[in-house]
Formats: sequence, structure tokens, C-alpha cells
Amino acid sequence: METRVRRVLLTAAALLALPGCATIQHWRSHRAEVRAAREEVRAEAAQEQSPNGASSTEIPPPAVRPEVERRRARAARIKSSNFEIGAHFGVISIEDFGSHPTYGVDLAYHVTEDFFLRAELGRATAGRTSFETLGGNIQLLTEGERKFTYYDLGVGYNFLPGEAFLGRKHAMTSSFYVLAGVGGTQFGGDKKFTVNVGGGYQVLPLDWLAVRIGVEDHLFQTNLLGAEKLTNNLEAILGTTVFF
Amino acid sequence: MRRAPLCLLLLFGLVLAPAVSHARARAHVRVYVQTPYLELHTGPGRGYPIFNVVPRGQSVEILFQRTNWLKVRTRRGVEGWASDRDMEQTTLSDGSPLDLHIGTRAGYTSHRFELGAFAGVWGGASLISTYGSLSFNSQLALEGSVGEFFGRYTNGVTADIGLSHVIVPQWRLSPFLMLGVGLVHTEPKATLVQPSNRTEQTAYVGGGLRFYLTRSCFVRAEYKTHVVFTKLDRNEVEDEWKLGFGVFF
Repeated sequence: METRVRRVLLTAAALLALPGCATIQHWRSHRAEVRAAREEVRAEAAQEQSPNGASSTEIPPPAVRPEVERRRARAARIKSSNFEIGAHFGVISIEDFGSHPTYGVDLAYHVTEDFFLRAELGRATAGRTSFETLGGNIQLLTEGERKFTYYDLGVGYNFLPGEAFLGRKHAMTSSFYVLAGVGGTQFGGDKKFTVNVGGGYQVLPLDWLAVRIGVEDHLFQTNLLGAEKLTNNLEAILGTTVFF
Repeated sequence: MRRAPLCLLLLFGLVLAPAVSHARARAHVRVYVQTPYLELHTGPGRGYPIFNVVPRGQSVEILFQRTNWLKVRTRRGVEGWASDRDMEQTTLSDGSPLDLHIGTRAGYTSHRFELGAFAGVWGGASLISTYGSLSFNSQLALEGSVGEFFGRYTNGVTADIGLSHVIVPQWRLSPFLMLGVGLVHTEPKATLVQPSNRTEQTAYVGGGLRFYLTRSCFVRAEYKTHVVFTKLDRNEVEDEWKLGFGVFF
């Protein structure tokens, strides 16, 4: 084991040296550029300082000295609005534990007009299983364990872009979306790896405001009720987000 | 449950804050159309219809940018969306071309920040992780990542900080090496004999590949081997494999 640790450390030292060399190389090339620029300035200054000497008679002074200000290309400062933050409310059907209200927050980053990356955090409180209801005084989970908390990170795709019309005067851009992601769910005293798939429809009443309705499924393996099984936890939501 | 209204207030705060900042007046960049005409779409996408054109020589104000589209306003007050490709043909008032900071291959080669998310495996357990990086130059960057893993017998959280070195940054598919230290917090499931949670230090070395997709987005796959410095007589070695997306700024 120790030899392995030593191997790791040696590799580490080698790795550190590599980028270090690269950095120094960058500095060196930068220094070379600076030096070249300085030499140029010095040469120009030397030329200007010796106008009346014998040597300068060979080069006649220019009749017109152009006074052109050098323009510097500068990057335009344009506000970007690719991030989206917001909240959603809805109903989640927690398998075996009934349907319950859910709420959460979302953060998205739009990479292109088609694709976006999204992170989501949500919570609901599960009810009683039919076994608990029929069995009278039996309690499978404590109150704390009934909290259903999930998060996921995923990729979304906008499709069928269009416009939704509100009366004669108002048009809102709209699109359908699908998304898929992975995340975690804390429920029943355990945390589970969760796969998340969903889709929906969204409209933008204003350039910075989006309203969406969607359905998502949170899938994870659990053995909460004895046998190991894959559970589907479907969620229907109404969400609103703002772009910034 | 008493916390719920507080959470809701916080949510509304979060939702409203950007809207308020959005309302602040800004001086917009004005550009001049140099092509025969500039097409304006009703929305930020190629599918939205063209409803107006701005002829050569006229100017538009750029209100803001979303993905590869720019919202512009004409002298007559008509607002519409123009694509970045069309807008790059316009010029500023001093005649210099408009330089948009929209992700390109050049940006992929050399940039300041990266953010990303992964799915993968950590020591046999399913892993979800995110990372952020700050580049010193096109090759060397400081990276931090946090992840959560879900195993059959243990769950846990990992946090790493280290350096990464992109060997040839200008390649579209480019390899990189990583080195750093971290912490791993493991929570064995209650059914095990020794169910105490523990936090241990780790050191890692790894490598990976990144592949430029489009605009500011790339795919990143990586492998790390962690040495976990346990409180026992011997150290453990855990492998981490992951695949995900990253964006640069």
C-alpha cells in the first residue's frame, strides 16, 4: 500500500511540474513580446530625435504628418440573460405513500436556443401507506422520515418553438421541452440515486419571465417496503422563472 | 411546517431580485447595419418568423443577449431578435466591428471560469457531482468539486480541490491531468455492524478528456484515483469515473 501512496505522490510531483513549465513558457513568450514592443518604440524615438543630422538629409522630412488617432478595438458590453431562476409548486405522487403537495426551486443555464442545463431542488411530505391506514396503529416511518427531498442536475431540450396569442394584441413566445437528469432523493431514512425524466410546455409573457407546466418522473430503487423495487414518483408542476 | 412561509418569502425574494435589477436603466450599445439588411425575428430562435428588416446604414440598439440571439431596438422603436451571426456583420459608431463574447473555439481554448455537472461512479457507488474551475492560463486551472454518492451499504459526500492541466488546450478533443486533495464523508447504512459516520482526508491523481460541443459547452469525462487516509492501519484506494457537461465563461 505504501508503495502505491509513494507512486501517487511521485506522479503528483511530476504533474505539478508540467503545468509549472507551461506557465513559465507563457511568461517567457510574454516577456519576448514586451521586449519586442519596447525595441520598436526605442527605434522610433531614435529616428525622431535625429532629424537635422547629416544622416537625416538622405530621408526628407514628410510634408504632411498624419495625425490619426489609433482606434482600439473594444468588446461591446452587452447584458447577457442566459440564466433562469425560479420556483415551482405542484403535486407529487410518492409511490405507496399517496399524492401530496410539492414545492421547489430551479436554476437553469441556456447554452443554445435548443439546449439548457438545469438544477432543481424540491420537497414534499409523504402520507401513510394503505398498510398503515388499514393496520390501525402501525407506523412505518417517523414524521422526519416522511419528508421527501429531491435534487437533480439535468439537460433539457426545447422543441416546437412557437407563439401563443392572448387576444388580438399580445403574442408570447412558447416552446415545449423535455429533460433528463440524475440526482438524489432523501426519503424513509435513506438517500437514493435518482433518475429524473420529464417534459412540459412554457410560455414567456415577458422577455424575462417564463411560466411553465410540466410533468416529471423521479425514478429510484428502494426496499422500504421489504422487497427491492423501482419506484416511479410522478410530479405535475406549475412553475415560474425569471431570466437574468 | 412553520418554516414553510419563510421559505416561500425567500423564494419570492429570489424570483423578484433579478426582475428588479432588470428594470434598471442601462446605456445600450448602438450598432450600424453593414449588410443589405438585418432580419428581426419575433423570438430568440431560428424557428420564430422574421417580421421586420433593418436596411443597410441604419442603426439598432442592443438591449441584451440570450444564447446566440440578441434583442435589438430600431430607431423606430421596433423590438426584435437578431442572430449573433448577423450581428457580427454590424459595426459600432467608430467603424470597428462588433465583438460579441459568445462562446467560440477560441474561448474554449482559453477562458477564465468553468462550471459543470457529472454522473458517475465513486468506489462502486453511483455518483453525482458538480465542479467549478478558475483558470490561470489556457493550461493550468484551480478546480473544486463536490459530489454525493449513493451505495448499497454506504452513502456519502466528497469534496475535492486541486489543479488541472490541459495538455494541448487548442485541440477539440483534449486530454488533461488532475492532482489534488479532498475530504470524503461516509455514512454507512444502519444495518451494518459499525454504523458510525466518518470523515477522512483524501489525495487524488487523475486524468480525463474534454470535447468541445458548441458555443460555451463541452463534454468532460474523467477518472480519478483517490487514496483515502483512514484511521485504520492501512489506507484505502477508491476509483472515481464520471461523465458530464461543462460550460465556460
